[in-house]
Amino acid sequence: MGTAARVGLALVWLYAGASKVGDLAAAGRAVHAYQVMPYELSQVVGAALPFVEITLGLLLLVGVATRLAAGVSAALLVIFIAGIASAWIRGLAIDCGCFGSGGELAAGETPSYAVDIARDVGFLLLAGFLLLWPRTRWSVDSVVNGGEESDG
Amino acid sequence: MGKDRDKRQQAKRAVRALRAQEQRRQRALWTSILAALLLVIAGMIGYGIYLTQRPPAEAAPPPGATADGVGIPVGSGPVTIDVYADFLCPICRQFEENAGETLDKLVAENKATVVYHPVAFLDRYSTTQYSTRSAAASGCAAEAGKFREYAAALFERQPPEGGPGLSNDELIAIGTELGFGDTFSKCVSSGKYRSWTARVTDEATRRGVVGTPTVFVNGQPVSADPQAITAAVNAAQ
Repeated sequence: MGTAARVGLALVWLYAGASKVGDLAAAGRAVHAYQVMPYELSQVVGAALPFVEITLGLLLLVGVATRLAAGVSAALLVIFIAGIASAWIRGLAIDCGCFGSGGELAAGETPSYAVDIARDVGFLLLAGFLLLWPRTRWSVDSVVNGGEESDG
Repeated sequence: MGKDRDKRQQAKRAVRALRAQEQRRQRALWTSILAALLLVIAGMIGYGIYLTQRPPAEAAPPPGATADGVGIPVGSGPVTIDVYADFLCPICRQFEENAGETLDKLVAENKATVVYHPVAFLDRYSTTQYSTRSAAASGCAAEAGKFREYAAALFERQPPEGGPGLSNDELIAIGTELGFGDTFSKCVSSGKYRSWTARVTDEATRRGVVGTPTVFVNGQPVSADPQAITAAVNAAQ
């Protein structure tokens, strides 16, 4: 179960990062579509996030510093959920930009905020599980620590 | 005697266990610190890469562009209509079909100046960065003095999303039909206005334009349909 959560969350991050990394300007636009920060900052977040996501994915995949990676994952997911909720509350019609794309929706398209949030809550549960029980099989952490309890 | 030795060994074992636990804790701490550092560095690398990709802010606009360099004005009417569109965006094509004539009429009646901003939002939706290539080609058409005609032709022959889009040769052929010469062909194949396109796109986002088509009448956002635009222009006069 722990291993499945770790690898599952790893794949989510790798996919999320890979879908954005090819067009960093577009990632910045997707962030800016939320209208929560000045454009300069949106650009920084947009450009940095895909690389952070991929790194998180790799850490989780091989199982290094699982507890930290799970903690950072949980923090990011909480921020994402808050962002989507705030877009929803403010009545913006945007694509969440979670896995590439992003930006304003075309006329006639309806946002899928509820689905986006539900999905992120699911990921948050995975991250929470790993935060509480970071020790999983087939991880570098467990090899290094010889199967003993650790608070990595 | 034997009991004593037992005790001593037990104590030794406990100390060893403690030390091992301490070692593990140390290792876990350092692993976490390194991992955190790695995440920060990854983010900085991302921003570093983005900075190298960013368009130079002074990327030269085609002749005849607006003073701020990020729009191609058509007409000379008193009301300004800003239109942000991507040549690959299907809704922009619909907008061109529904509102193109209205815009041309407002220009012909000298009621409005339409400032076109060819943005490249959808590069990921073609395999060849068609958004950027087509917008850059429209810059070449502006150089040739027929931006509007060329833009209309691009929408008429809009390729589907997800494919390669029109090739540079096809983009050139459309210009040739409009009577453009060698200068235009060279301009398209060399991608002369690619960085200008990136600049137009960047400035659009800075202004809060995050989708296409987006329309402003005298700086106020207006729904992208002909009635709303006409009403806003009449109200602005």
